Order: sequence, then C-alpha cells, then structure tokens
Amino acid sequence: MTTVLVADDDADIRDLVAFKLEQAGLEVLAVGDGQAAVETARTRNPTLAVLDVSMPGLSGIDVCRMLRADPATAGMLIIMLTARVQEQDVEGGFSAGADDYVTKPFSPRELVSRIQALLTRART
Amino acid sequence: MPGLLAITVAVLAGVVAVIASAIVAVRVRRGFRRRRRDRIGAAPRRALLAFVADNGERGADELIAVPEPAWRAALPSALGLLGKLRGDAHRALVMVFLRRGMASRALADLTARGSVRRASAAQLLGDLELRPAVPGLCGLLTDHNHEVRVVAVRALGRIGDPAAAWRLIASLDRPDPVPSLLATHTLVQMGPDAEVTLSAALDHPEARVRAVCVDALGLLGATASAGRIARVLHEDRNPDVRVAAAAALGRLSTRTALDPLIAELAPDRPAGLRAAAARALGDLGSPAAVPHLVTVLRDGEFWVAHEAAHSLRRLGPAGLTALRETLEVAGVDTAGHCHEALALAAILEAA
Repeated sequence: MTTVLVADDDADIRDLVAFKLEQAGLEVLAVGDGQAAVETARTRNPTLAVLDVSMPGLSGIDVCRMLRADPATAGMLIIMLTARVQEQDVEGGFSAGADDYVTKPFSPRELVSRIQALLTRART
Repeated sequence: MPGLLAITVAVLAGVVAVIASAIVAVRVRRGFRRRRRDRIGAAPRRALLAFVADNGERGADELIAVPEPAWRAALPSALGLLGKLRGDAHRALVMVFLRRGMASRALADLTARGSVRRASAAQLLGDLELRPAVPGLCGLLTDHNHEVRVVAVRALGRIGDPAAAWRLIASLDRPDPVPSLLATHTLVQMGPDAEVTLSAALDHPEARVRAVCVDALGLLGATASAGRIARVLHEDRNPDVRVAAAAALGRLSTRTALDPLIAELAPDRPAGLRAAAARALGDLGSPAAVPHLVTVLRDGEFWVAHEAAHSLRRLGPAGLTALRETLEVAGVDTAGHCHEALALAAILEAA
C-alpha cells in the first residue's frame, strides 16, 4: 500500500487530510511538527509527504531541504501546503525541492487529485 | 525585632501559598473545562471532518441537529476549517453555518458593544464569504478599534466584492489606517472589477491612498489603466507615489509602459525614481529597453546602476550580451555592476 506522510501543526487540517487520503485507499502517517516529520520520513520512508510550511521548530521548507539532502529520502515526492501565497513563497517552496505547492484556502478534493497525479506520474 | 521578622516571613509565606494555590486551582479548572469540551466536541468534530472530506455530500442534517453545547465545543474546529477551505467543501460548511443561524447572529454582532465580538463576527462573515454582509463590514472600516478595522478589511478581501473598494479606499484617509500592504492585498482580492474605482482614486489628495491604489492596479495587471499610471509616474507631486507607479508599470507587461519608464531614466529625475524605473524595465521584459539600461549602467548613483545591471541580466540574451560588451569598455564602477550581474546569471544557470 502507498504510504503518505502528513505533517501539519493544525490538528483539524492534519486529521482532515489524513481522513481524505485514507478514503482514497492510502496509508497515512500523521505528525504535528517538522522534527517528527523528518524522523518519520527516515524511519518509515513514505512515497509522498504533504508538508505544512509554517510549523513550530523545523518549517516545512526546512524539512523539504533535509529530505532532499538525505540520499535515503531524496526521491520522495513532496507537496507543500501553506497559507503563504506570495510569489517568493511559492518560489521558495519549489527551490527547496518541492514537487507541488498547494495554497490555503484549499480544496481537499483538489489536494487528493494532485497527490494521485504525482503518484501516477512517479509510477510511470 | 526578631519577632517582627518572623511575622513578616510568615505573612509572605502565606501570601505565596495562597497565590500558588490559586494558580493551581485555575489551571486544574481550565484543564477540566478543556477535557470536558474535548469530550463533548469529539463526536461532532469527527462528523464535521467526515462531512468536509465528503465535500458535504453526506451528514449535513446530522451536523445541524447537533445540540448547541456540543456544537460550541466543536466550533473552534469548524471555524478553523471554514477559513482554510475552498470549493465544494467550503460551500457545504457555509450551508451548515447558515442553517444553524450563525450568519444572522454574526450580522447582529457587527454592532455589538464588545470589540472582540465585533471582530469575531466580521471574521466569521468573511470566512462565510457572505456578500450581504458587505455593507455591515464596510461600517466597521471606521470602527474606533484598530484590530476590528483590520479584521473587517480581511473579511472584505475574502468576500471580494468590488462594491466595497471605494469604502476601503476612503477609510485609508484617516488617522491610524490599516497597513498599506493589507489594503493593497484586499483591493487586489476584489478583482478586475475594482479597476475603475482604483483608477479614479489616483487623483485622491492623500499620497498614501494614491500609492496603495497604484500598487493594486499593478498587481491586478490593469493594462487599461497604463496611461493613467504613466501620468502618475510623470506628474505626481509625491516621489514615493511615482516610485510605486514605476513598479506598477513594470508589472503590467504591456508595451505602452515602455516609453514612460524609459523617460524616467533621465539624469534630471530623482535617483530613487531612476532606480525604480530601471528595475521596472527589467520586470517589463522588453529587449527594447536594453540600450537605455546600458546608458544607465554609467549612472553615478550606485543603486541606479545596480538596478540597471540586474534588469539587463533579467532581460535574457540581449541584456547579457550588452553587459559583456559594456564590460570591455567600462570604468571600474560600471564593470563592477556588470561583473556582479553576469556572475549571478552564471550561478542561476548552473542551478
């Protein structure tokens, strides 16, 4: 089963995304901060990570850079989920190595579609 | 004396013990209330998440039937989700709020005595994206409480009704206005239909208002207003507004912006304006600006030449060739700007 890591300090968003992804038949690992995200990614090696940009401690951007720098997790698919909508924020997310960038307010349906599209592209 | 000291120590110890007990009691009470709220709210929160995850296709009636104490316990989650969702999930959640009568209560609360209640009501109405709330929210733009005004402006931005643009612009002309960036962002959220109002406001007597409006026009990509913005660039009596007009023209990506910006590179213009025009020509992206920017590379003001060099870099092959050619014949200062821009171009290309 494909495993997805969801890292968001907002419990409601974290639970909603996890709920939606489980409905789509994916296994979900949900964590509430950046440090836990890095540790979970290294120990469980999920296929894809959904990272909130603004988290206490390590931000989603920091986590993304750390995962990309580690050969064991460098190939992981990463989607940034954030309320930061300025062009430079989006640019910062992509330059850190993110595969996609979803801004809040977001549509849960669209997020799952983007996740599935990335997973399909990665398989082919 | 020793007796007095002992009494003082005993009194102080008593006071410390009372304060410590009070702190513990408050914390225990808060913890108890939080656990109780979490317990009562757990089931409606689960129902809420399932409802939103299903885009509201199932479970609306169950959420509407949730008793008031349980709904209040789950309300922080519902409000949090309302502000962070869009699309079908957002629309479904809005329907639940409307059917529970929360919008009408919030509309009434816009005139409540307490500023927290007014701000909370404005926040909710904005998150509900409720257009009928716009007149009430506009009324809060002159609220005596700054925080309430800020929340009202954000709410108007979320609703995005251009009919509110003029009221927002008018509210900027008062002591302690909302931050300019917030006002600009909100006006942009109102969309292209706000362009006529913004363009008309370029004649406003207050410089800060003109700067906000010209910024918003640039961010909206209001090409129909390019002529008006060019006039502000040439004629406005405030240098900051002229700099904002240069930046706005750069964002428009229209050829009509080219000549007005080139004109502002002239040596008799203020240095800040020359630098802004040079930067804006880089944003505009027209290779026709290359010879003009090359001339400005020799400008005596560091920032003007610096902006010209980096705009040439951003203009691509034509600009890079001009930088290399200038390097061969330039003096030390100009060569420094060219070297820096070419080095950055090489780094970006390698990355």
